[in-house]
Amino acid sequence: MTDFVHDILPCGIEYAVSPLPRRKVVCFQLRVLAGMVTEPTNKLGLMNLLGETIDKGTEKYTGQQLADELDAIGASTGIGAGRETVTFSCTVLPEHLERVVELQAEMLRTPTFPQDMLDVNIDLAKQELSTLEDDASGLTEKMIGPLAFGPLLGRHPLGEVATLESITRQDLVDHWKKHFQAGNILLSVAGNIEPQRVNDVFEKHFSTFGSPSKQGRDPAPVEFTPKVVHRDKQLEQEQIAICWPGVDAKHEDFPVQQVMLGILSGGMSSRLFTEVREKQGLVYWVSAWQETPRGCGMIFLGASTTPQNCDKTFNTLLHEVNRLAKDITQEELDRTLTGILASQETRGDSTRSRSHELASDLFFHGQPISPEEKADKYKRVTVEDVKRYLSTYPRDKMCVVTLGPKALQQSSIPSKAEVK
Amino acid sequence: MNDPYILETLDNGLRIVIELMPDVRSAAAGFLVDTGARDEVAPQAGVSHFLEHMMFKGTSKRHWSDITTDFDKLGSSYNAYTSEDRTIYYGWVRQADLDAQIEILVDMMTSTLPEEEFQMERNVVLEEIAMSKDQIEHVAFDFLQEKVFEGHPLAWPILGYDETVKALTRDQMLAYFQQRYAPDNMMLMVAGNVDPGEVMKSIKQHCGQWKPSGTKSTRVPPKMKSGTDVLTMDRFKQQIVAITIPAAPAGGVQAEIASAVATILGGENSRFFWNIVQTGLSPRASAFHYEFADSGMMLLYGSCQPENCEKLHDAMRDEARRINDDGVEEHEVQRVRNRRRTSLAIEAEVPYHRLTQLMDDMQYLGQPRTVEQMLSEVDQITVDAVQDYMTKFPLSAAGHLVSVGPRDWPGND
Repeated sequence: MTDFVHDILPCGIEYAVSPLPRRKVVCFQLRVLAGMVTEPTNKLGLMNLLGETIDKGTEKYTGQQLADELDAIGASTGIGAGRETVTFSCTVLPEHLERVVELQAEMLRTPTFPQDMLDVNIDLAKQELSTLEDDASGLTEKMIGPLAFGPLLGRHPLGEVATLESITRQDLVDHWKKHFQAGNILLSVAGNIEPQRVNDVFEKHFSTFGSPSKQGRDPAPVEFTPKVVHRDKQLEQEQIAICWPGVDAKHEDFPVQQVMLGILSGGMSSRLFTEVREKQGLVYWVSAWQETPRGCGMIFLGASTTPQNCDKTFNTLLHEVNRLAKDITQEELDRTLTGILASQETRGDSTRSRSHELASDLFFHGQPISPEEKADKYKRVTVEDVKRYLSTYPRDKMCVVTLGPKALQQSSIPSKAEVK
Repeated sequence: MNDPYILETLDNGLRIVIELMPDVRSAAAGFLVDTGARDEVAPQAGVSHFLEHMMFKGTSKRHWSDITTDFDKLGSSYNAYTSEDRTIYYGWVRQADLDAQIEILVDMMTSTLPEEEFQMERNVVLEEIAMSKDQIEHVAFDFLQEKVFEGHPLAWPILGYDETVKALTRDQMLAYFQQRYAPDNMMLMVAGNVDPGEVMKSIKQHCGQWKPSGTKSTRVPPKMKSGTDVLTMDRFKQQIVAITIPAAPAGGVQAEIASAVATILGGENSRFFWNIVQTGLSPRASAFHYEFADSGMMLLYGSCQPENCEKLHDAMRDEARRINDDGVEEHEVQRVRNRRRTSLAIEAEVPYHRLTQLMDDMQYLGQPRTVEQMLSEVDQITVDAVQDYMTKFPLSAAGHLVSVGPRDWPGND
């Protein structure tokens, strides 16, 4: 069985360590439980700006000096602002762990948010909003997000021009003070490292970092709005996105949902790839996936196709999901399960993947879950479970978004979806 | 450390490389076919890529649906891709499934290119081309290659053009396939915690009877053009500004230096980042070293609001000129070395990543390199070595400027 250590540091950081003694690196993720959902309504884009500016100056270093110090130990780092968290990830050789944690603590605890850097980052965010118009799939995501998740979880990281222009340095400082506290942080570590060393080094650098009491653990409210929306745009291909509610990552049917998605879109022998692409040649890209903020789950289907194939592609996508409940076979279930389990094992060779997996466990389940336990849950999924899932969570209300030169014909659209 | 490689060439010319990775639980295998877009003739532009799709469409042993089903039954992470000078097919599986994985890949290489699938797959490729036209980066890069390599096979897009893909016949593809997909033009590579004797035995059993085609490379080194070209496209909001300058070809220390220069100029924590991006001029300004066996180019690439084209162009040129004239600082070189050490450690733990590195090494150097050997080459990057590189491949060269976006710049506006 896989060994983990899961505990809370005296400073309040909840952490999990997966020691992998033969690995050559250590990977960790610090997740601050404050994402876009914590932005004030009139300050949309704040968390992205905070993530872009927090490493541009600390009490001790300028932004460039901080980057140079990280490079001096070859640390590979990244910052990502998401719906519910801001994630600080790092991969480093084991001998440099102490130094990199010291630098991460310097950045998280004493950022100065230099005004000139903030001004530049606001300007860059406005430019990126403008150039989002050149990104057809990114625009489609932006259109479907608010319909799928509502005004909080459906926010776009870049915000809006007007809200970006209203964001001040003081807004960043206030938000940082409110949310960047040890009790609001999850830490996952994997690699060639002793758990005690993790405990010692993080406690040393994060002690007295704000309140140690647990915060940020509650899911944000979700608001699903079934609607059909089309936006005309001069494109070679029509972008199609469909979504409907599923179950969240903690739900007992979550493994069934993952298997269902695997059958639809897990490999090149999956239903969508086979039926939409290989048999009819309608698309190059087609996919089914899930997005699962805490407390909710949404199922998405996506494809891009030339306008003359748009309705046929849309109809085939829906047909394939509906057909699954009737004719799923044991053979394709077994194949999908093998895919999930094999992927877990092959990716387990990557320390970075193990660290991400651990971070995800802490975030969704509040504890690490061994690969063996996860595998057992998948192995228990049956054909009947998938059929039951598909009848229990009906698809009578859905969001449909298209972007491109041609709207769907009315006859293609499910009758219960409201047309905008 | 003991050499972790086993290399062998079969009588029919197929080269085999196995890398032993005792600490992992997975294994990766892949074919590198020494053929790509630059090996095509102009009227058949895109045949290499279209053929790569067709290789999944059936053999005398497997229907197309059996190929993908058999891959998925192993839980393989598999795919294929085509570039200017290679086509790759790979699968990454649990260690115990390696033999079965190799068998499927080997079988695929004997594709019958089924006639009945040809038209359907053509539609898929045409959809892929349509998708690429909606991506400004893709449009810009294709335009850049078309202009820089004008008159040379590197000029046409890997996907081909609508017209050439529509006009291609199965017989033309079959002729190309028979000529290029022969053991003396291919390599099979494996990385993982494997029994090399068993793997080699299995490969010989599967591939030993393949017949060589005697294919000889007809590749001619390109002459990179200097000049300026503009593609005005109103449908896009941003402007892409790209400058190409001749650089070292792939393989060896000169390529490592070129890669280091690109990192210092336009990687993370680079001169472009602090002096261009963080001034608000451009959300994205980067430098890349593009390499082929016989040529290379340094690509300075940025996107901006159309009104900022001149400033972005001048800023990228200034930074390149500054490195050319004043050289680099010791701490910048050290940073590259430190980063590379970490990235090599990350790469060394995953068989799939090692497989891709093996393919690079075998194609461009003719032999694999251990992580230690690569680190030793990285250690040869010094301030003086960079200065010496600049005398051979000056970054102050005029190169070729390409501008793509809504503005006719530098042009008539």
